Amino acid sequence: VTDGFAGRDGHEVDALVTDRYLEALLAAHARGADRSPATTEPSPLIRLAADRLARDLPRLHPSFLFEEALAARLAEVAARLRLLAAAGAEGLVVPLTSRAPDAALTGVDGAPTGDPATDDRPDVARPGLGRPLLIGGALTSAALSLAGAAYVAWRRNRPPDSAMVRAARAVARTRSA
Amino acid sequence: MARPALRKVDRPEEGGPRLAHLDRDRRLVEAAQADPARFEALYRKYLAQVYSYAFYELRDHHEAEDATERTFLAALTGLGRFEERARPADGEGASTFRVWLFQIARNAVAERRRRRRRRPEAPLEAAASVAAPLDLEADATLRDEAGAALRAVARLPGDRRRALILRFVDEMSTAEIAGVLGRSEGAVRVLIHRALRSVARDLDDASR
Repeated sequence: VTDGFAGRDGHEVDALVTDRYLEALLAAHARGADRSPATTEPSPLIRLAADRLARDLPRLHPSFLFEEALAARLAEVAARLRLLAAAGAEGLVVPLTSRAPDAALTGVDGAPTGDPATDDRPDVARPGLGRPLLIGGALTSAALSLAGAAYVAWRRNRPPDSAMVRAARAVARTRSA
Repeated sequence: MARPALRKVDRPEEGGPRLAHLDRDRRLVEAAQADPARFEALYRKYLAQVYSYAFYELRDHHEAEDATERTFLAALTGLGRFEERARPADGEGASTFRVWLFQIARNAVAERRRRRRRRPEAPLEAAASVAAPLDLEADATLRDEAGAALRAVARLPGDRRRALILRFVDEMSTAEIAGVLGRSEGAVRVLIHRALRSVARDLDDASR
């Protein structure tokens, strides 16, 4: 009994010895060696069978036509998957990075991002805004910037075509009451 | 998202332990997950192995091709769900992607077998063909010894045969075979040992 065999029964020890022989045998074949590993274990019958299988079992390859036809089919499926992924990405919420209110409402040079008068996109989180507008928190914050106030005012004057606008108006009514 | 699978490798001559990726296919898999068009590299790498496995299991060229096609299509469409699960015990160069791919191949082969049982008659196109494009045993009779080895393997029961094919034809490690067959490594070692004993007896009888 050698290392790694402690606590194993007879079958497991035999199987482990065979496994080690196979490791050495297949490594020798991979190197192109024409001789099997010199050893007395496992039994000569097992070694002979392993040597025969390593030498005689052929590796197979499908026809070139099949290989190329399947490659073309996979390429088609891959193209479809890319399209699906692209279509799916449009529906995802874009992660918002900046958390500073001023940076959220203005661009790098301090100008408001986008023109509220012409911007009629639906109410979704936009990268230029930095983070989604939290109506209550934005109006009660002492750090509300001019750009932010202009934005909220613009939202109030927009037609009530969305839940966001209705919420902004409701908050404004509460404040003026 | 693929879970990082790293192992500590002690290389004192290089200034102590370092971390190395376990799965040799990791970069190819990540590239294909980012862009499905890059799956082709994995396809070319494993086509012959998957086809060999399917052929040894189904012993029919057309059915092996069909199982191979289903395997790669399923792998491509399911690649986003693949998670690397290589463990340090799997050893350097172990490929969990290859194990995953062969699990798919095993299912594809089982599906072909089920279909064959449901519809045992030969399809028309097979009856019309003059000869199968590849008849392994007929070719092997040219070399008596190879034919005997093939027949001995073909006579083995299910998992013993699969384990030998994965070991000798696809040259998988015991850990990889355990992953494909859903058994422990110890069980796979015993399976292979017993399969070899059966093959040895068969070959011994054939030589008398």
